[in-house]
Amino acid sequence: MSAMVAGTARADLLLQHFRSLADTSKPHHALALKAQTALHALPLPKRKQESWRYTPLPVLFEQAWEPKPAATTAALSVQQVAALALGDTDGCRIVLHNGVWLPALSQVPSGVSVLPLAQALADDTVVGSVSGPGRHLFAALNAAMAHDGVVIRVAAGPDPEQKLEILHVNSGLASGWLVQPRVVLVLEDGAQLSLSEQYLGHDDASAGLYNGMTEILLGRGARLAHARLQNEADPHRHLNALYLRQQADSAYTGTTLAMGGLWSRSEFHVSFAAAGAHCELNGFYLSGGQQSHDLQLDIVHGVPGCSSTERFKGILSGRGRAAFDGIILVQPDAQKTDARLSNDNLLLSRQAEIDTRPQLEIYADDVQCSHGTTVGQIDAEMLFYLRSRGIPRDQAVNMVCKGFAGEILQTCRSEVLQQRAQALLEQRLAGVLAGMA
Amino acid sequence: MLSINHLHAGINGEEILKGLNLEIGAGEVHAIMGPNGAGKSTLSKVLAGREEYVVTEGSVRFLGQDLLALEPEERAHLGIFMAFQYPVELPGVNNTYFLQTSLNAIRTARGEEPLNSLNFMKQVRSKLRELNMDESLLRRSVNTGFSGGEMKRNEILQMSLLEPKLAILDETDSGLDIDALRIVADGVNALRSPERSMLVITHYQRLLDYIQPDYVHVLSNGRIIRSGDKSLALELEEKGYGWIKAQEAAA
Repeated sequence: MSAMVAGTARADLLLQHFRSLADTSKPHHALALKAQTALHALPLPKRKQESWRYTPLPVLFEQAWEPKPAATTAALSVQQVAALALGDTDGCRIVLHNGVWLPALSQVPSGVSVLPLAQALADDTVVGSVSGPGRHLFAALNAAMAHDGVVIRVAAGPDPEQKLEILHVNSGLASGWLVQPRVVLVLEDGAQLSLSEQYLGHDDASAGLYNGMTEILLGRGARLAHARLQNEADPHRHLNALYLRQQADSAYTGTTLAMGGLWSRSEFHVSFAAAGAHCELNGFYLSGGQQSHDLQLDIVHGVPGCSSTERFKGILSGRGRAAFDGIILVQPDAQKTDARLSNDNLLLSRQAEIDTRPQLEIYADDVQCSHGTTVGQIDAEMLFYLRSRGIPRDQAVNMVCKGFAGEILQTCRSEVLQQRAQALLEQRLAGVLAGMA
Repeated sequence: MLSINHLHAGINGEEILKGLNLEIGAGEVHAIMGPNGAGKSTLSKVLAGREEYVVTEGSVRFLGQDLLALEPEERAHLGIFMAFQYPVELPGVNNTYFLQTSLNAIRTARGEEPLNSLNFMKQVRSKLRELNMDESLLRRSVNTGFSGGEMKRNEILQMSLLEPKLAILDETDSGLDIDALRIVADGVNALRSPERSMLVITHYQRLLDYIQPDYVHVLSNGRIIRSGDKSLALELEEKGYGWIKAQEAAA
């Protein structure tokens, strides 16, 4: 009983802490004011809430995260950026270090403009227009304290192959840090972009929470290819909510790879404004050791004639955990919707845990929807087949895992990002197999 | 080359092979025929080393070694190859990568240098031409979405690359139409050599029209009950398995 009281008291203190952080951030824009009000009505996430049930909350609540000054000479060097960058975008990149945009290390293609978020907040109603003030405490906290980040606008141009990468590097802060950038990406009617994002911890040793927000608005006929690799440092917690709003005939193709950090939660909120839009979400998560990754999908088909495909796969080893909670909602007007949701998991150890809950809620009668889930160990037939061809057991396990993940990895538009993820996977699997031997 | 002695084996506590004896010499092609449930597939899986099958009695020696003491990959290194009745789909595993990894694992075990990609591609292309196979097969995931014919040809391609000393064809004819059957059989015949033995397991005599065996054995209820030359296969085709079983029962 006393432990529970202590727990409740601690939760109250944390809630107070986050609310007062927002209160003292002195916002002067509409989004922050709305979010602040929301924040005072939102509880601290708890297990009783369906969407937080299967994620280890104590890891998220380990410290009262707050903005911290740099503990070390934190500046990122040109050389460091060059080493971390993918380098397949003709030098076009945006660097955010601990959430702060570094224009000196950034450069964008000709049809693309970048504004610091703080400046855009003053006179641009686009910020927060898709995400709203936030549905849970951390989303509202990001909005209430909105300051860091960028607004990127892409115009339709003669070059359909425009490429850009965003480097999110979190490093050099005192332990207990909180970083809360927001990236708003607007593709105007007919615009096209291939965007790669990396969330990197860069061997950082201090515990902290990255609480980021991404808002994407795709204009009529706009096309975005989006590849994301989350490879935060071991003690980092990573929360990112992606809000996507698509106009008629637009196409979004995204691949999210959750591999790093101690704890992560990736949210995908997708909505369609008009017919003919297509959204493809691919995801892969790799949980080993004590890691946990949480994937939350909230896909709303509210208008007729749009399609979406959501394909997520995970490999879990050690005491690794993951939660997949995906819902596709087809509203009464959304006739001719085509939506496919799948989640497949490979468990490499007895202690690994996956909680998966794919859901379809359909209120229209002329639709094509499907969902499916698998959870299993490595198929014995596959291993035997490979071994019967002279391939040793460990290597066979490795090949099956890489093949399993490869179906998602190969959907990355950036080949360099794909190769990096592949190498990372290979390195992690080698560690897992060495541990099993 | 292969010497099977009084072999008893089964799965899930059920004995399927009940004292099987078989000798295969170098360069010989043996066919094993038998009705469903006789133990044909169990024999091939026990020889290839499938872990679920348990050997309770008897011995298998291959090139002087105790085969049953070896892991499946070690058997492959020694020169055993089984063409699967149902080849396994490996989603996301590129066929070229698979073939190269397999060949190099076996070359390394034999003390040969692994082939680099360039030399490997040369070799695999020449095998493809020999087998009249399309190169697009290399770019796909192993067996994934392959037709029955493509799967079996992919098995023959592997056999041709790995150059085994003993090839076991486990009902390779099942699910093949006559054209695919002929292509597969041509591939197998091209691999016949005085150093390479083959064990052809089949339910139907049809395959043996194309792959002519030196010896034919009839497997029934876990034992070889009759051995002869290829005329035995024709006799079986004519009279059915009931004829052999009736003879057994009468004896």
